[in-house]
Amino acid sequence: MTVAPSRDEAAGVHPAALAAPADVADASVWAVRTEGLTKRFRSGQVAVDGIDLAVPRGAVYGFLGPNGSGKTTTIRMLLGLVQPTSGVAWLLGRRMPESAATVLPRVGALVEGPAFQPYLTGRANLARLEAADATADPRTARGRAEAALERVGLAAAAAKPYRQYSLGMKQRLGLAAALLRPRDLLVLDEPTNGLDPQGTREVRHLVRELAAAGTTVLVSSHLLTEIEQVCSHVGIMSRGRLLVQGERESLVAREAVRVRLLTRPADVAAATAVLRRLGLHDVVDEPAGAEGAPVTATVGDHDPAAVVAALVAEGVAVLGFGVERPSLEQMFVELTGEGFDVAR
Amino acid sequence: MTEKTRPLSARAARRARWAVPTVVGVVVAGAFVGPALVANADSDLPDLTPEQLLDKVAAAGPTALSGTAVYTARLGLPEIPLGDIAGADPVNLLGGSSTLRVWTDGTERSRVALLGATSEYSVVTDGPEAWTYSSDDEEVVHYTLSKADRARFDAMQEHARGDGATGTSGMAGVHGGDLPTPQEAGREALARAEQDATITVEAPTTVAGRPAYQVVVDPTSTTTLVDRIVVAVDARTWTPLRVQAWSTTDADAPALEMGFTDVSFASPPDSVLSFTSPPGASTRDVVVPMPSARDMAQARPDHLEGGLPDGVSVTGTGWDSVVELSDVDVAALVQGDPAQVAQGFRKTFGSRGAQELYEKWVPAEGEGPVPDLDTAALYDSLTTPVDGGRVLRSALLSVLVLDDGRVLVGAVPVDVLQDLAR
Amino acid sequence: MSLAEPTTDAATEPRLAEQPRRRPGAFGRLLRSELRLVLGRRRAIVLLTGLALVPLLLGLVLFVTRDTALAGQGPGFIAQVTGNGLFLVVAALFLCMPFLLPLCIGIASGDAVAGEASTGTLRYLLVVPVGRSRLLLVKAIGALAFAAAAVAAIAVVGLVAGAALFGVQDITLLSGTTVPVGESVLRVLAVAAYVGLSMTGLVAVGLFFSTLTEVPVGAMAATVCVAIVSAVLDQLPQLSAIHPGLLTHHWLDFAELLRLQPDWAVLGQGLAIQLAWVAVFSSLAWARFTTADVSS
Repeated sequence: MTVAPSRDEAAGVHPAALAAPADVADASVWAVRTEGLTKRFRSGQVAVDGIDLAVPRGAVYGFLGPNGSGKTTTIRMLLGLVQPTSGVAWLLGRRMPESAATVLPRVGALVEGPAFQPYLTGRANLARLEAADATADPRTARGRAEAALERVGLAAAAAKPYRQYSLGMKQRLGLAAALLRPRDLLVLDEPTNGLDPQGTREVRHLVRELAAAGTTVLVSSHLLTEIEQVCSHVGIMSRGRLLVQGERESLVAREAVRVRLLTRPADVAAATAVLRRLGLHDVVDEPAGAEGAPVTATVGDHDPAAVVAALVAEGVAVLGFGVERPSLEQMFVELTGEGFDVAR
Repeated sequence: MTEKTRPLSARAARRARWAVPTVVGVVVAGAFVGPALVANADSDLPDLTPEQLLDKVAAAGPTALSGTAVYTARLGLPEIPLGDIAGADPVNLLGGSSTLRVWTDGTERSRVALLGATSEYSVVTDGPEAWTYSSDDEEVVHYTLSKADRARFDAMQEHARGDGATGTSGMAGVHGGDLPTPQEAGREALARAEQDATITVEAPTTVAGRPAYQVVVDPTSTTTLVDRIVVAVDARTWTPLRVQAWSTTDADAPALEMGFTDVSFASPPDSVLSFTSPPGASTRDVVVPMPSARDMAQARPDHLEGGLPDGVSVTGTGWDSVVELSDVDVAALVQGDPAQVAQGFRKTFGSRGAQELYEKWVPAEGEGPVPDLDTAALYDSLTTPVDGGRVLRSALLSVLVLDDGRVLVGAVPVDVLQDLAR
Repeated sequence: MSLAEPTTDAATEPRLAEQPRRRPGAFGRLLRSELRLVLGRRRAIVLLTGLALVPLLLGLVLFVTRDTALAGQGPGFIAQVTGNGLFLVVAALFLCMPFLLPLCIGIASGDAVAGEASTGTLRYLLVVPVGRSRLLLVKAIGALAFAAAAVAAIAVVGLVAGAALFGVQDITLLSGTTVPVGESVLRVLAVAAYVGLSMTGLVAVGLFFSTLTEVPVGAMAATVCVAIVSAVLDQLPQLSAIHPGLLTHHWLDFAELLRLQPDWAVLGQGLAIQLAWVAVFSSLAWARFTTADVSS
């Protein structure tokens, strides 16, 4: 169990995958593990408060939380940039920051936005990072840089100085740097920042593609909806604490999924009766609108298709039918009692 | 071992990194301070009586050497506007520290250079000829003897060689724009030491990394400003390595100190001891009159009374001697042409200290030591008005300039001069 | 919770059989890349050009005024330049030493780490990964290379301009002795070398300040201030006890190379002081940089 038990119970989470970590350092199971990772800054402010992160191999882990919740400081500790005040971190089974020299070549990272030498071209900036990598093969450097530029769609702008790049192009160059060589783990901090909807879609596509190829991706964002769809796992940070983490599917409680039927006002009573008879809870008929009269209920273990069939069989006019899953955002609001992005 | 104890030790290791600069700092400090602390290790020199020591110095005579000497004056003079004087200029010897480089073959050839930060004032003496060169204004002054004097000089050289004497330096050579050196000043101090003074040998010391005896010359007079003269003599070559003149007014530090910081007793190469005017330098020739045989004899203090030049009289003996000059045109002196004024009376004084300082203060023939200074302003800032004139006070020397044209100079307090002047 | 032996990690890693290994020549690649960045950036070129202009302008001014009443004026070696182009090198170094050279070197060394921190590229270099000690060493070499380039720019332009405008003759030393051309050139080059080595202490100070801040201008200003404060303290007779240890105290000792018999002990002392400053401040920089949190 990696989060405070009370929280788990409150959220109704059953993270089976996290239940028995045989060995926190087992790289075949965990790409990232931390135990009690804490950072207290000299000012006394606790940026990260004893978090136990668990990112399974092959996962796309959405590391979510509002701005200032401690995501970036956590990522900096994982990468050895910031020393934890206490606690331990493993990356690919190795202790950080002690094993940085052997682990980090296998990790691509985008930390708190891209940063490059403004007067160098995109290509020259990649060449600089390539030259800095003591373990990279210099003979293949050029080819790999071109491939990375191609992959993020920057090949045409590679000869332009970085300072002339738009925010989106800068973000893409950051991704290209992370993809300079095959990685076992990608740590992407706010990769969609500054990207237009098209760019955001491309990033999601890229993440899916990388995950499909076996790379573990730890992707952080304060824009929950942008990332939610690609994640297999989710961890939610708030005020330095990891509120909850686990597989995305299991995080969203089944009881919370509701069906929404749109019928004629005359059929409301019949529809309510059918739903109750089927055993759905919390059947509510809402005030009718121009498009029809809505009836909602918690679907539980029932098959929504069977519910529709039963309704039709009883002669209820089905003008519309839908399944409504609560979003992570709603869950976050429930967990914390506050909106997700405080800064927005 | 548990997992969670490890970060603590990692943090301890990080804190330990600061031990590296700490250790480096201590090592660096030790490297620079350490040698100074161990330098005063006592040497086991055999005891010598003052007489034995003086005999050895006299017997050794001048030797070839080259080295670096530091000259420090703490004369207690009023603040001199030395800021105007950039570079190597003899006037800097009046205050603060100066570095000199000395080469001599022990006879009549020598080079002494006063070092400025990026300049140099050199005095090269080669028997009957001498040059001074100032890098600041690229000026060469060439001192020579007149034809007649030159012939006389050569004859004396011949004679001296016949006698098997080591040389005639200091007696017959040419002295122009002279710079003081520790070995000469020390030798001179010891040569006159037995007059009016008690001599003792102090605990050995180390000068320029060499063990040295210390001879203390303590004037018997209680009037004089000179408390004692301390000469450090090299224990192997018997060459004076350091001279200190202590004033009665300051018991903490010598008023004048000149000593080698580095010395070697090899013969300097010929290239150092010779001088050729560089191309492009302005050259001035000065013919120096060679002292007559009679003058030379008079230069010894015990013959002082013989024939003083007109307008000069000496009162008192030994350390208390006061030289009185009359009819000195102070106005002309301070208006920047001191040579003319000084011409007449630059002679030997009874008191060695007085002479040494006087020579620093009153310009040598043909050139003022303060060529670029506003001498009037300097004069005003150095002297203070008293009843009937102005007075210069320093740790070792007092000068009373009276409005009636008399000037009294002596290594005595000012009130002694004033009493004499009445 | 007990920790598995580290050796078991590798055995249990399924698709990570190839462990990243350092390749030979890695340091050289990083260093070349750093030198290209440090010396190739626009600011470096502007600074070096500015320094190179000093001997050029000085030479031209002296050339134009040499037959006028203005000739022969000025401190130090300037008066000698018109007689011998070699002195243009010395005079230009002498003019640049108190302020211009420390300024340029302060800018380059103060920027070394703080500049990367302020652009954010420092974190990306560290996660490449580049070991912090290695990165600091590369940064130090880069800053030293800039210092060397700065001195070389003055010396080379001074030599060429001096030779073109005034010709190269035997030089007259401060002691009034004339030495032949070959030795003269050697001595002038030795002056440039001594001046360059005299800047190493300042480079180390700048590097240390550079690890303290993410604001390069702060590190640059602090570095230049150290040089200026040192020069001011060197003027106070009350502090004569500490003068020999001051960063700038021995800078003008290059004049020793223009004396009849250079006292190597004096030059050695000057270089030893620089070495001491380098040792203290580079170890401080190392301790700071290898333990600091990179939060930029």
